Amino acid sequence: MRKAATVQELPGVSQSKTEVRPSAFTWSELASRLRPYLYLAPALICFVLFFFYPIGSIIYLSFQDWSLINLEQMEWVGLQNYQDLMQDGDFHQVLGNTAVFTFATVGIGLTLSFLLALWLNKKAKVYGIIQATVFSPHIISLVSVSMLWMWLMDPQFGLLNAALEAVGLPAYTWLTDPKSSLLSLIIVSIWKGVGYNTLIFIAGLQSIPSDIYEAAALDQSPWWRTLRRITIPMLSPTIFFLLIINTISSFQAFDTIAIMTQGGPINSTNMLVYYIYEQGMDFYNGGIASAASVILLILVGILTALHFLVMSKRVHYR
Amino acid sequence: MFSMKKTGTILCALTIGLSGVLAGCGSSGKEQSASTGSTSQPAASTASSGPVEIDFWYALGGVRGKTIEDMVKKFNEIHKDIIVKPAYQGAYQENHSKVLASVAAGNNPDVTMVEIASIAAFADAKVLEDLTPYSQGDEKKYIPGLMKNSYWNDKLYAVPFNRSTPLLYINRDMLKEAGLDSNGPKTWDELVSFSQKLSKKEGDKITRYGFSTPVDIWFYEALVFQGGGNILSENGKELTINNEAGKAPLELWSKMVKEGIMKNPPGENYNAWDVAEQDFLNQKVGMIFTSTGSLTELKKNAKFDMGAAFLPANKTSGTPTGGANLVMLAKSTDAEKKAAWEFMKWMTDTEQTVPWSIASGYMPVTTEAIDSAEMKAFYEKEPNFKVAVDQLQYGYPRPMAPGYKELQDVIQKELQRAMLGQATVDEAMQAATEKGSKLLKK
Amino acid sequence: MYRVVLASRKTVEWIGLLIVAFLFVFPFLWMASTAFKTMPEVRQFPPTLLPETWEWSNFAQAWESGPFLMYTWNSILVAVGILILQFLTAVPAAYAFARYKFPGRNLLFGLVLIVLMIPGQVIFLPIYVQLSGWGLVNTLWSLILPYAASAFGIFLLRQAFMQVPDEVIEAARLDNASEWKIMWTIMVPMAKPVLVTFGLFSFIYHWNDYFWPLIMTNSDEVRTLPIGISSLHMSDGGTLWNVMMAGNMILILPILVIFFVAQRHIIKAFIYQSK
Repeated sequence: MRKAATVQELPGVSQSKTEVRPSAFTWSELASRLRPYLYLAPALICFVLFFFYPIGSIIYLSFQDWSLINLEQMEWVGLQNYQDLMQDGDFHQVLGNTAVFTFATVGIGLTLSFLLALWLNKKAKVYGIIQATVFSPHIISLVSVSMLWMWLMDPQFGLLNAALEAVGLPAYTWLTDPKSSLLSLIIVSIWKGVGYNTLIFIAGLQSIPSDIYEAAALDQSPWWRTLRRITIPMLSPTIFFLLIINTISSFQAFDTIAIMTQGGPINSTNMLVYYIYEQGMDFYNGGIASAASVILLILVGILTALHFLVMSKRVHYR
Repeated sequence: MFSMKKTGTILCALTIGLSGVLAGCGSSGKEQSASTGSTSQPAASTASSGPVEIDFWYALGGVRGKTIEDMVKKFNEIHKDIIVKPAYQGAYQENHSKVLASVAAGNNPDVTMVEIASIAAFADAKVLEDLTPYSQGDEKKYIPGLMKNSYWNDKLYAVPFNRSTPLLYINRDMLKEAGLDSNGPKTWDELVSFSQKLSKKEGDKITRYGFSTPVDIWFYEALVFQGGGNILSENGKELTINNEAGKAPLELWSKMVKEGIMKNPPGENYNAWDVAEQDFLNQKVGMIFTSTGSLTELKKNAKFDMGAAFLPANKTSGTPTGGANLVMLAKSTDAEKKAAWEFMKWMTDTEQTVPWSIASGYMPVTTEAIDSAEMKAFYEKEPNFKVAVDQLQYGYPRPMAPGYKELQDVIQKELQRAMLGQATVDEAMQAATEKGSKLLKK
Repeated sequence: MYRVVLASRKTVEWIGLLIVAFLFVFPFLWMASTAFKTMPEVRQFPPTLLPETWEWSNFAQAWESGPFLMYTWNSILVAVGILILQFLTAVPAAYAFARYKFPGRNLLFGLVLIVLMIPGQVIFLPIYVQLSGWGLVNTLWSLILPYAASAFGIFLLRQAFMQVPDEVIEAARLDNASEWKIMWTIMVPMAKPVLVTFGLFSFIYHWNDYFWPLIMTNSDEVRTLPIGISSLHMSDGGTLWNVMMAGNMILILPILVIFFVAQRHIIKAFIYQSK
């Protein structure tokens, strides 16, 4: 599940504000000046404690040699952790896996969702039912989704191999072979996420004013031209939004890995967050885990900045 | 709960200091300090009022886990002054992480099972309590062959609980049918020739494999020992598998897999073990390596004459011991430690280890138990259960090095790389050695 | 001719719809079917579609394999606790952003948006270190506190509050109602649909969460359902798929029920994110 939103509203100012009028100092005046800050305080304190301070602290920790087991023993090692990561073949593989996984889930997932949205964006009741059905895996815990697919992909008794053999195809290796394990995780992720993306696309499609389509129909423009000239450009904010949040959520893949493969076979499904977990909580290389966290943070940070940049521009030009 | 523990620890430490008793000097001092802590300090409420509560973590699920729960229940019934709270923490690897995490978090258990190759890591991180003052020579009751993973820097940190060796499990019916010696192969060469005779093909498809084993560090260790090799150097600072003894196991296994007479069971960690055991039960493979701890389960489910045998020998016979020990954590209060020792002692006593062994297949851990009438009568009836005990004469400890948890992960990955043809045997051993030496230097 | 093409296109579309529905419904049905099978039947190859004998005891076995009542209770406590705290922190913050002009407003709102975009997974390690310093690891607090304020909640509520007509507020001010009172007794009720939407989103997210409790807890007293369910996987003597699937049914049924009851709201909750 994603926690994200666009910044469409950022510069938007609502019509009415309690104007703080300049006047002589009074206690009630001071109180009303302070009021917004007081109202914001609880939330902001939480954000500082559980977001901004930890970000600072992870950067600091990434320059230390430390382990969770003995936090008093910290040693400043400068960039050593980063150097170790850069030289570590396993970490390269982790980065590669994360990249392949992200490209595939986002690319294939969004394409499928877009096609589904074009198809299912209709009024009749049955389409609503199908939309809800496609969406349903999204609200199910990844724990259940992972276990369910593990069972479907079981090499001995799994349904998928039974189905393959029933139609005369050889059984597939799914999670058990480094060549197919990452692909299997990609399938699971797409299956879980496609419904959410479809719904967002449909919402986007519905917000395109219908008179534009009517004009296109009058021009007798063929469907593919309408798609290319009208639908896709009009949907571009939605597409962009989905690209960003799907990429960010692919970067954090963890549950499926922890339950289905534990990063294996032979590291073939190990990805960033799982790697950080393994290094930090399993092998007690706090420094390495912190450095990897910072790298992940930078990647997500770049995407976020990109998002803000593009979104604020869009609002600007409209 | 943990804050109570913390204040308890501090208060106890204070009283020890004030009353002038030297801590850790001997058992009498120990006893006294514990009792001072409990009588003069009402704040250490767990100790002064009512029974002492201790947390015990275990790492066996399923039927074996149930048996452990039942043992704890029995302990609690007998010991009115101690309440042991058992909690399952997942398999060994997971338990390992959880214990370390809990120490960091300050809510550690008082007693936990620890896989024997992890003892060094725990002891080195100073999270374990030295048991010498509690045991006072009592550790002599345990089978000496099971004590090699209990010491770190000459101090006693662990007592054996569920201990095992790998065994060769054989489907006797299948062997007889193929005209083979139903006692199983004795050497690597025989393992190969037996497997060739047991494997079956229908067209291109292999329908039965002679042999299967998870490509797991434990079995690899066994085969290295059998070639006269060792995983680590004497001082534990170097990985010594980039040599003939280290390569031979991989060469044997990959040759057998290529020939189609050995199945490399898929799955991570213990999943692969499950697959091998299920294949064996379904008679899709004739022989497997697995722990003696699976004996009871397999015996219950096998619909054929199942036998257990020594691992086949190469240059020599050899096997690592395995399973888990019980350890006490250093962060507990004195009162808790006293109760913890009481519990550890009880769990590993002859009276408990005999039924535990019979119920699970793990070895009994005291010499007295092996010689007991009950065990002897049982071995008479179920000779398979005695194989692991007999095999102990060839037993080696598992490698003792603080970084071995991560190291065995590294080795195992390289083994699998070679098995799947992603690297040659030489490349795999080279890579493992390079990464390993870095880890061991830390 | 044209009509035939139309009719056959219709059939093709219906078949298509059925295939799509099948792809997303069947795995759940398969979960249910497996949950009722006996172990020998689970291991049957080729598999049976429906259980030959209905093994209800799988559910009991799953439920009794750990303190599941406690897990469930913890799951509820955590999800509801988070929801309450998020509500209490989000309402005043959203009100401040929506209804006041003050120096630093845009900057502070920018910070909220940053929190919104960057997932907590990225910085779990320092949060763990911090909570462990406070002695809070392995307590329910470690599961609740880091989520006490929701950027998403603030964002949603701010939008809702901005849409409340000024006349309503002016009228209340003329009645000498305090700002605090206006916020809770006028604004909050008017934002009810958004609150329901957000509440569902938050509840589902934390009910399902596996990562955070996995990291922060190590004893049964504070573990939640997803952790309990995931430990069903580890049992010796072959994976007990039937018991595992039964356990997962227990985990997902409440969510599926909520989904069917409040489908519109939930779908809206998730679409809202993109608005």
